[in-house]
Amino acid sequence: MQELLSVKYDVESGDFIRGGEASSSIKKLLQQLGIKADIIKRICVACYEAEMNIVIHSYGGYIEAKIFNNKVEIIAKDRGPGIENIDLAMKEGYSTAPEYAREMGFGGGMGLPNMKKSCDEFYIDSKMGEYTEVRMVVYF
Amino acid sequence: MKEIFHSVSLIEERCIGCTKCLMNCPVEAIRIKNGKAVIYNEKCIDCGECIRVCPYGAHVSKGNSLNDTEGYKIKVLIPSVTLYPQFGQEINPEEINKALLSLGFDEVFDITFACDVKAEILKKEITKVEKPAISTLCPSIIRLIEKDFPSLNDHIVKMLTPIEISAALIREKYCKMGYKENEIGIFFLTPCPSWITKIKELKYNEKIGFDGAIAISEVYPKLLKVLNKTSNKTYRKISKTGLLWSFSGGQSQAIGIDNFLAVDGIKNVIKLFNDVEKGKIKDVDYIEAYACTRGCLGGLFLIENPFNAERIAKKIIANGEFSYNVELHDEFQSKFAREDILKVNLKFADDFESAVKMIKNMNKIINMLPGTDCGLCGSPSCRAFAEDVVKGLANLNDCKFIKNGGE
Ligand SMILES: Nc1ncnc2c1ncn2[C@@H]1O[C@H](COP(=O)(O)OP(=O)(O)O)[C@@H](O)[C@H]1O
Ligand code: SF4
Ligand SMILES: [Mg+2]
Repeated sequence: MQELLSVKYDVESGDFIRGGEASSSIKKLLQQLGIKADIIKRICVACYEAEMNIVIHSYGGYIEAKIFNNKVEIIAKDRGPGIENIDLAMKEGYSTAPEYAREMGFGGGMGLPNMKKSCDEFYIDSKMGEYTEVRMVVYF
Repeated sequence: MKEIFHSVSLIEERCIGCTKCLMNCPVEAIRIKNGKAVIYNEKCIDCGECIRVCPYGAHVSKGNSLNDTEGYKIKVLIPSVTLYPQFGQEINPEEINKALLSLGFDEVFDITFACDVKAEILKKEITKVEKPAISTLCPSIIRLIEKDFPSLNDHIVKMLTPIEISAALIREKYCKMGYKENEIGIFFLTPCPSWITKIKELKYNEKIGFDGAIAISEVYPKLLKVLNKTSNKTYRKISKTGLLWSFSGGQSQAIGIDNFLAVDGIKNVIKLFNDVEKGKIKDVDYIEAYACTRGCLGGLFLIENPFNAERIAKKIIANGEFSYNVELHDEFQSKFAREDILKVNLKFADDFESAVKMIKNMNKIINMLPGTDCGLCGSPSCRAFAEDVVKGLANLNDCKFIKNGGE
């Protein structure tokens, strides 16, 4: 399947004010493409969780949305520090979020599990000291 | 397909193309074309912001006049709850209702009854939808959801507003008494343009069937004249819990919920809905949302300052001793259910491929624009301009600041 269109947004570490803007832009793009509301909702929730993980847990990275004829692929990749134990990180309720993030309502440890639930395909890969990459696919 | 009506329109001779409305429209529905404002119908949500900001009175919203009530055998007026705090704290709601009656109506329906009914319905209904439940009586907010937030559909309580419930009850009552549909004239006394639009739309709904909307500002001077010298015929009291529906936060109080958000002002509402959509607002049970500052008491057709009006409303509520104490009937649920929200599609083109092409083109154009959102092209922002260009609504050379080598 050929990629038709892609957009990419930088996401900065610790930027809670602008964190979420990439998801908003991607939502708008999907609306302009005429994607159905319930599908947009699933993508929006997953994309926002991935974006906030970059803000909270990483040194910074990007969110990319690739549009295909029949699906959208969201890639959230950062520059580390990486996840030591992915199976543990995927557990519901597991979180290493710092206190200040918890006070803002983040850090429930439901981000990764919810991302997986919202998508048709979910891949996560990480190398300590290098990167974490989440790839999510939702079919139209 | 439902037709889109609007009540906000432009008097061209008054417009000098100053860009005030262009820059202040919260949903970017306005453009300046050939030196005059143009409202894009499919984007406008009738919030009335352009009317508020126009220094020349060029944007207007016209409701019905009292003359339009002629010709009906039975004339019923439904005053908005926002009417009662418009006359200072000395004048009782009963006096106001009596005065309204003397303007030539056969009945002044007590909308606070419908508010009490709706509160009872809501108590049950909000547990049936996705959390946070969203309920709004503001037609501008409904239109905003239909257009920009259709994915919030599962959060929305789909029941009629007290205004519509009132009309449905009135129509039913007089039909039962033997009046024909077209002999009954039902009018809403509205605080805002938003409801003028909504009521035009409801004209074709046989269950609710309004016959018109009259702006509160239209009858206000007449009311002032008759307020003190009305007959001493007594008029029934209005409900204090019903009056809670006039300001932001009051609905939640009426339902007896404390884990709620009351958000007012269209820009604040957009911000909050964006957060709800991302799943950010998790621990809230209920959201009430209004286009106007402080809720409906901030309506465009109201006279009293919204903050002072709220103080007065709370005084009337504190002194009131009456409530309808409605008992919930199961039939209410089906009787006052509302159809699903309309999902307006914002897609650029009917087929996917063309939409993709247009978006690619738009992104290219955005890179050529200065990003200063100066408004000189007649679009409210560089992004909106790029969208207009690919939709064929604007010309690329309307921008005088295209970056060198943009092509
Ligand atoms: N991009 C990332 N970089 C490093 N660690 C991450 C990243 N995303 C998630 N994690 C780790 O996985 C844990 C679980 O993530 P998540 O399920 O989103 O919950 P939460 O963000 O609420 O902690 C986080 O607490 C963190 O330790
Ligand atoms: S908040 Fe109330 S007064 Fe303002 S537009 Fe909405 S319904 Fe009308
Ligand atoms: Mg997370």
